[in-house]
Amino acid sequence: MSARAGHILAGAGALAVLATLPLWGGTPYGLELGITAATFTVLSTGLNLVYGYTGLLSFAQVAFFGIGGYTSALLSHDAGWPVFAGALVGGVLALLLGLVIGYTSLRLSRHAFAIVSLSFALLCLIISRDWVSLTRGPMGVPGLIAPTLQLPGLGRIGFDRPAVFYWLMLSYAVLVVAATHRLVRSRIGRAFIAIKLNQPLAESQGIDPLRHRLLAIGVSALTSGIAGGFYVFHLTIVDPSIFDFYYTETMLIMVIVGGPGSFWGVVVASLAFTAIPDMLRFSHDLRMVLYGAILIGAMLAFPRGVGGWAAQRRLVRLRRPILA
Amino acid sequence: MDFATLLQLLINGLVLGVIYALIAIGLALIFGVIEIVNFAHGELYMLGAVAAYFLTMNLGIGFWASIALVTIGAFGVGIVLYELLLAPLAGQGFERSILLTLGLSMVLQNGAMFLLTSTPRLETTPYSYRFLVLGDARVPLLRLFALILALVAFGAVYVTLHHTRTGKAMRGVAQNRAAALMVGIDPRAAARLAVAIGVGLSGLAGAALAPVYSVHPVMGFAFVFKAFAVIIIGGLGNILGAAISAVSLGIVESIAGGFLPPAFVDAIAFIAMILILLLRPQGLFGRGVRV
Amino acid sequence: MTEGSTRPLFALQGLTKRYSGVVAVDDLSFSIPEGAIVGLIGPNGSGKSTTIDCISGFQVPDGGRWFLGDAELTGRKPHEHATRGIARTFQTVRAFDEMSLTDNLLTAAQAHDGLGWSAALQGGRGLRDAEAKATVRAEELLDTIGLTEHAQAPAGTLSYGQRKLLAIAAAMMARPKLVVLDEPVAGVNPTMIRRIEAVIRRLNEAGMALLIVEHNVEFIMALCATVIVMAQGRKVAEGSPRRIREDPQVLAAYLGADTEAHDDE
Repeated sequence: MSARAGHILAGAGALAVLATLPLWGGTPYGLELGITAATFTVLSTGLNLVYGYTGLLSFAQVAFFGIGGYTSALLSHDAGWPVFAGALVGGVLALLLGLVIGYTSLRLSRHAFAIVSLSFALLCLIISRDWVSLTRGPMGVPGLIAPTLQLPGLGRIGFDRPAVFYWLMLSYAVLVVAATHRLVRSRIGRAFIAIKLNQPLAESQGIDPLRHRLLAIGVSALTSGIAGGFYVFHLTIVDPSIFDFYYTETMLIMVIVGGPGSFWGVVVASLAFTAIPDMLRFSHDLRMVLYGAILIGAMLAFPRGVGGWAAQRRLVRLRRPILA
Repeated sequence: MDFATLLQLLINGLVLGVIYALIAIGLALIFGVIEIVNFAHGELYMLGAVAAYFLTMNLGIGFWASIALVTIGAFGVGIVLYELLLAPLAGQGFERSILLTLGLSMVLQNGAMFLLTSTPRLETTPYSYRFLVLGDARVPLLRLFALILALVAFGAVYVTLHHTRTGKAMRGVAQNRAAALMVGIDPRAAARLAVAIGVGLSGLAGAALAPVYSVHPVMGFAFVFKAFAVIIIGGLGNILGAAISAVSLGIVESIAGGFLPPAFVDAIAFIAMILILLLRPQGLFGRGVRV
Repeated sequence: MTEGSTRPLFALQGLTKRYSGVVAVDDLSFSIPEGAIVGLIGPNGSGKSTTIDCISGFQVPDGGRWFLGDAELTGRKPHEHATRGIARTFQTVRAFDEMSLTDNLLTAAQAHDGLGWSAALQGGRGLRDAEAKATVRAEELLDTIGLTEHAQAPAGTLSYGQRKLLAIAAAMMARPKLVVLDEPVAGVNPTMIRRIEAVIRRLNEAGMALLIVEHNVEFIMALCATVIVMAQGRKVAEGSPRRIREDPQVLAAYLGADTEAHDDE
């Protein structure tokens, strides 16, 4: 009970520190980092759900993010929709497309899913660049301005103010983290892990791998799509670079180092990998070289991340007394 | 569309398709034998092109000699890559191999970006801007050379797979791993040769195309993803299927390019892949290395 | 199944499976009565593994139909076989290594209590009751297999024989109608074999029918009322252990060949 209380206290403390960021680190730079960290937390938690829990390597998360971004930008800019409705529709569209690629490829194998998810992400990039009549091509859709809303009890809130936008993204990230946590700690999460650890055994016990994996893909597509739908209003523009492979690589580093299937490990890694590189002031190219080297090293030495490595050590320690 | 234009598109498509095939065959071979999807394949192709560029433009080595050197070098890189990075994975974890080769691709691509910047470079050769005239169609000599080199390489791969001990072993491992182990095939030798040939082919493609397409750090990116679609369409690990799909894709893209906007041309491979997965998930030609 | 006769618990009709031209199982039929323990033996490559992979949905045969009671299961997926009442274990022993023994057993039960995703997420009485019932069942089974003291240890810490016991317990969790055991005692020491035999008897007394594939002929003969012998994809004999021992065809096809084989098919 006291350990649980400690966790709750630590969580509340961390949340208080994050929520007050505009008060102690409210420089434009600090808020920029905060918004980026919140966005990446949503994205890597989604990837962790799909890869860390159900064992499917997905390259489509960036596509869900970008689809949400484009949908919400176009609906708001061209059709005059409210931003929140546009972002929601973007998330739902990402969810539907996620189910389509998941269903078609998983009938074959999880290997096919990896390759199809990758091709899907690339197809989105190509469409955003070349289908000019729909997406405006390489120039993208500029001039996206976050709305000012009349909220009951709060008065007029301008989401175009960085501090307010930060609170929006933080609230959304907390909501996604809490909902995903609930999912993976339920017995549905236990089924996810069972499928990842030993798919034939899970099947022989009546667990439907396809249905569970589609659930994980769908949830992560929805949360990533909505995140994209918000994030483009922070960028004030959406262009093909929203589908850049850079997002995929960064998400992967966060999940791999945090430990696939290690829920809080990935959340912490998302915050750390947003903050650290900006302190290190590396050239972008060298940073990605470093990330690549970390990925190679992790795969050779710690295939299951730092969190997974610790769990493995624990297993080895426990195994000894039983066999002795 | 008149006949001369169609012929021109057909020839361009054939050349393009054969180049896709050079990349896709290597991927299919590596997947068939060690079940690894090599994400760094496009970057190895890029390295081949960069090496050929510096050999010819900075060291004054001739076009043909540069191709030979780069191909041999790439073959060696393949052996090192296998022994250093891929062999330790030893068949455990498809996802792990993807992440590892993705890491390698990040190192190579961003390293090249840091050292060379993203400026495109074009290798010039004595054959640049010269054509073979076939009736009303004109074939750039360099593309024709790439086509011929690719066909020679396919022949060499065919002979290796059918008439050498290790080559037969590679086919054996790809068709039935357990059975191959039982009849005493050394899977490591087969795997090493598969990776060496795969990387060698991508190096050859890079060197042969350095004077055709501009050389820059992300040149392999889009190329290799189409090759992924091609190996799914052809049946994962099926080399002949990959080759036929690659050549068909090149021709279809080229002809479609005659009247479709570029977005649709680039999308053909992916849409075809999704359709194949829906209608015939084992690929057009089924699983296994069949040449 | 034919007119008037009471239906057996499980019936297989005309199972046929080919691998690139080679016939692995050739027109195989048999049935399993309620509450019976049936043994399936045969030399390596005789088609035993293929047979049980087909009737649990893990392989798609080229021909044949099979039924559990009135329900036809032909063409169903593995998890559908499980939820309709056929549980199985695997020759290469499988467990969720990083989960505790209790969680291994709870996972094995969760697809069978009819609760959907919304119930799983919202919590509530139905879920609590189902999980509590499964926990009691898991405790009973851990007691039966004698691993209660390791209930919270990860399954990966168990010995090989203990993992085999855990796999059997997991297959029993949801009270299936038929349990298919794939080589339950292969590679297990004699003490553990006796323990596994006792566990199987106790579970059978609770009403479950079993189909057991084994190379250990003595184990099968001691446990089963009916034994089916396969060779080269066909059934060459079926009957009581006594009749099987005396059947000249069995001697020719099987017992003379390699009774000691333990390797994978």
